[in-house]
Formats: sequence, C-alpha cells, structure tokens
Amino acid sequence: MENYTIEEMLAVEVSRHIHNDEMSFVGVGTGGKAYIRAVGIPAVASRLAQLSHAPDSMIMFGPIIDPVLDSDSIPETNNEYDLIHWPCRSQTTVYDSHVVFKAGRMGVGFVSGAQVDQYGNINIVCIGDYNKPKVRLPGSLAQPDHLAYAKRVFAIIKHDKRTLVEHVDYISGCGNEHREGLKGGGLALVFTELAVMDFNDSGKMRLKSMHPGVSLQNVIDNTGFALDIPEHVMTTEPPSEEQLKLIRERIDPKRKWLNANITQEPTTLTN
Amino acid sequence: MLERKSKQHSVRDAVALIKDGDKVAIGGSLIRRAPMALVREIVRQKKKDLTLYSWSGGMDYDLLIGAGCVKEAWSSYCGLFQFGMAMNFRRGVESGQVRFVDLSETCAKDKFRAAAFGNTYCISKVPLHTSIMENPEFQNIVTCPFTGEEYVAMEAYHPDVAILHAHRADKYGNVQFDPIRMMDNECDILIAKSAKKVIVSVEEIVNESVVVQNPTWTMLPKIFIDAVVEIPFGAHPNSCDALYDFDLEHGRMYRDYSKTPEKFLEYLNEFVYSCLEHESYIDKCGGTAALKKLCRPAKEKNDG
Repeated sequence: MENYTIEEMLAVEVSRHIHNDEMSFVGVGTGGKAYIRAVGIPAVASRLAQLSHAPDSMIMFGPIIDPVLDSDSIPETNNEYDLIHWPCRSQTTVYDSHVVFKAGRMGVGFVSGAQVDQYGNINIVCIGDYNKPKVRLPGSLAQPDHLAYAKRVFAIIKHDKRTLVEHVDYISGCGNEHREGLKGGGLALVFTELAVMDFNDSGKMRLKSMHPGVSLQNVIDNTGFALDIPEHVMTTEPPSEEQLKLIRERIDPKRKWLNANITQEPTTLTN
Repeated sequence: MLERKSKQHSVRDAVALIKDGDKVAIGGSLIRRAPMALVREIVRQKKKDLTLYSWSGGMDYDLLIGAGCVKEAWSSYCGLFQFGMAMNFRRGVESGQVRFVDLSETCAKDKFRAAAFGNTYCISKVPLHTSIMENPEFQNIVTCPFTGEEYVAMEAYHPDVAILHAHRADKYGNVQFDPIRMMDNECDILIAKSAKKVIVSVEEIVNESVVVQNPTWTMLPKIFIDAVVEIPFGAHPNSCDALYDFDLEHGRMYRDYSKTPEKFLEYLNEFVYSCLEHESYIDKCGGTAALKKLCRPAKEKNDG
C-alpha cells in the first residue's frame, strides 16, 4: 500500500514538467473531480515546481496573475470575495488576460476533457453528433484558445475507454493532425490515474510511464485505441518524503486543492 | 434651467424595452454578477424567441432556456460551476428546442470588442481545425494582406439589448463599479458598448455628487446607458464581486428543482411568476436579513 494518494502522485509528476520562467494558465474550474483535475492538481504542481526547480515560474488563475500559492494565502473558498483578496502580483481584465495567449507568452495550458483521442484532439462539448447530441456538456471555455496558442498543453483526465477514444465526437481543442497556422504547441502530455502519455513523431499518443503498481494490461484495457507502446516503459517516479511533506504541511494541508475543499463540495478522484 | 433626463426606471418598464426575437447580451461570468432580477423579469414578461450572447453563461442562460424564452444562444460555456450541469440548457440543446452556438472565450470577447470598437467583424485563428467551424458563422476564411496568414472572420456581436448588473449609478445613468471587483466580469464594459440599448440594474442609485467623487469608477458613463434600475441583491442567487457571495443554499435547491421540467416549473412558479416585485422574491429567499449573511465586510486589498 502506497503512502501517498493519487492526487499527490499526479501533482508531483506534473510539477516535474513545469519549466522555469514560464507562466501557466489554470482555469477557475467548475466542480467535483473535474475541479481536482483541471485546477487542484495544476495549482499544487505549480507551487511544487516553484519550490524545487522553477523559482521564476508562475500561474495565471483566470484574471489573477502570479498568486501566492502557500496554504494560508490560498483562498478559503472560490467565492469572488476570497479570490479577489488572494495575494497576487496582478489582476487584469478578462479580455486582456487572453492577450497573453495570442502574444505567445503562455507556457503550459492546463485542461481537462470528457474525451481525448489518439491524436490529442480534446472534446468537452458533447457526446454524439454535435447537431443532435446524445449528451450535451457545458462547453469549451478557453480550451480552444489553450490548444491554439499555449506553448504546451497538459491534460489531466480519467483513464478509461469512454475518455480515451479513437476519435473525439467534437474537437474543442485542436490536436496534432492538422495545426497549420496555429502558433501553439498543442497537447504535449496526458496525465491519468494510471499513466503519463506523450506523443510520437507522427503525433500519436505514446505511453511514457506507468504509475507504480499499474500493469501494462491495465493501461491497454482502459484505453479506447491502440496506444503507441515503446519497448521499455518507465515507471513514474513516486513522490519523495520531502515532496509529500511540502504538499501536506506547506502547500495544501487543508486539501483546498487536491480534494476540492475550496469549492465547498469536496471530493476525491478515487471515491 | 432645463431638467436633465432621468434614466431610472422600474424593472418592469426597463425590461419592456426588450422585444420578442431580440438579441440579448448578458453580463457577468459563469454564476457571477449576472443581472438575475432582470432575467426573472424577462421570464415574467414571457419574452419569446430571444437570442442570447455572453462569453460564459450560467444560471441566467439556464433559467431563460428553462422558461422557454430562448431560440438560440451563443457562449463558450453554460453550466452551474461547482453545482455541475445546467439541466435546462442540456435538455434544451439535446431536444433541439434551442440552437446553441459554441465558441471559445477569446472568440466571444473578440466579437463583443469588435462591435464596441466600431468594427463589423474580427479575426481569429482559434477556430481553425476545430469543430467551432462546423457552424456556418465560422466558415469565412480571410487572408492577412501583409503576411498571408489565414484567419477565421467572425461577425461582430450587435445585440439589440445588453443587460448588466453593477454596483451603483446615478439616475442619469452614470454606472460605477467598485475598484475591488472580479476582473472576470470586466467583459461587461465591452458588452455594454456593443449593444444598441443597455439596461443596468444596480445595488443602489446614488446622488450624482457621490459619482463625481470617484469618476474613474464610472466605467460606463450615461452616454452608453438607456435604463438604470435600483435592485439591491439584483444578482442573487449569483454573487456580486466583493459585495455578496453566491447563495450556495439556493444553488443546491436550483440544481434539485432543475432535474426535470416538471420540477423546474415549480421553481418558476415559486421564485419567478409569483414574485411580481423584487421584494417578494427577497422574502421567498428568507428576507434581507438572510441575504445579508452572504455579504462580507469591506476589506482593503492590502490587508493581506
């Protein structure tokens, strides 16, 4: 039995891929498990990166730029009153905040999605035909903007056949097949509760590492397309004692992020 | 001296400016600072065949769709934030009752900005290679005459009416926003400037001398405004920046009521149709004393 949770494991792994001097975009999120994936894990990962190898990295949390990411400074709730008073270095208008994307100054864009396909197309708009959807989802928010303009996009998603599909039903975020004219790098890394994936030279999703205790068969059985599987697949490095201590004592002791307590509707990825 | 024109109206008269079939742009973001009292009045006046524009829709969109006022809606999102799916929106789109036009956040803001800046269209690369281009409105490609780069041309939003909620105004229509505010709602300024008519509900109507004290807070001077309406807690159950929080209890109740169309009709009867005045809505929600619990103390940003 591991001494860490899957949320902690993912936050640590994501943090390793954040570069110094870059600004990442974390959306203000919605709720539930989607909140943990889209907001909680990226926020903790960003602070871990600042404290380990990327002291000059920063995040943009909607219109709130470079907030202080230590426990006491993090808002008690995601009500505006608390967000507005979150210590941060800048707050810009919501329309100017997106100029950061178009000016090519966005490092990592963090996204989640209901479907991700083998070419890194993402869908958060509908299941089934767009004009007569079987299930209508909330919509793309800034996902198309991330996929068009951020240098790299990280998706943190659920690992099952409903999510990792051969073809998405709607492209709300542009993958690697056709990117003519788009300045951003598109989807670079996919993080799930089982594994980390990147993309091969033909733009197809490739298994990069599996989390400790996860079997290759488990990954294959839960992926809805033929994943590129290299001969040697690494095991994702588990969190160190020091990283766990930082998360539990300094960054997220109240589990505002990793269990979405900040939304006042707490949950976990495993319940 | 001639009397200057007052733009202060009753909620009924202000919303009467909206006609069936109008294109209505709504301010706020997600479940924040949408002009919910104006939205409820639209429902009470049984407006039909509206087209809605926003950059991110929430309970405002869901309520209008659930009440049958909407034929088409444009946004990057429609949901109840931490309360999950907006069920009237979901049913409306899945059944084909409402045509929903998806676009990204920047596309929506670009379209408002284009109109606010006096342009008829704007350009974006964001829709390229995405399903946003499935809708005919996003199929016009233009080429930059200087670099040869291709963009999707998007028509500016020209709403017939914009409805917003703000902190205060004088009766002449000079609308102010507190300096401590959620910058996600800042698109309201562009939305107002894009529209032919603008209706703003405010927490309070103040004397012009109060406005004059802080002219930089007047983001929308009266030239842009057609009607101001005094409605304290006019965004409820949405939040209003640092003034009051989203009403979580009401949000959970709304989520339960909106699970089926039948249940939702009960919500409309209880909280909209039977509340002819805003005061009776406030009473249904526990009265001003209960809503005051959503208010937070004024705090200087640099208090830490």
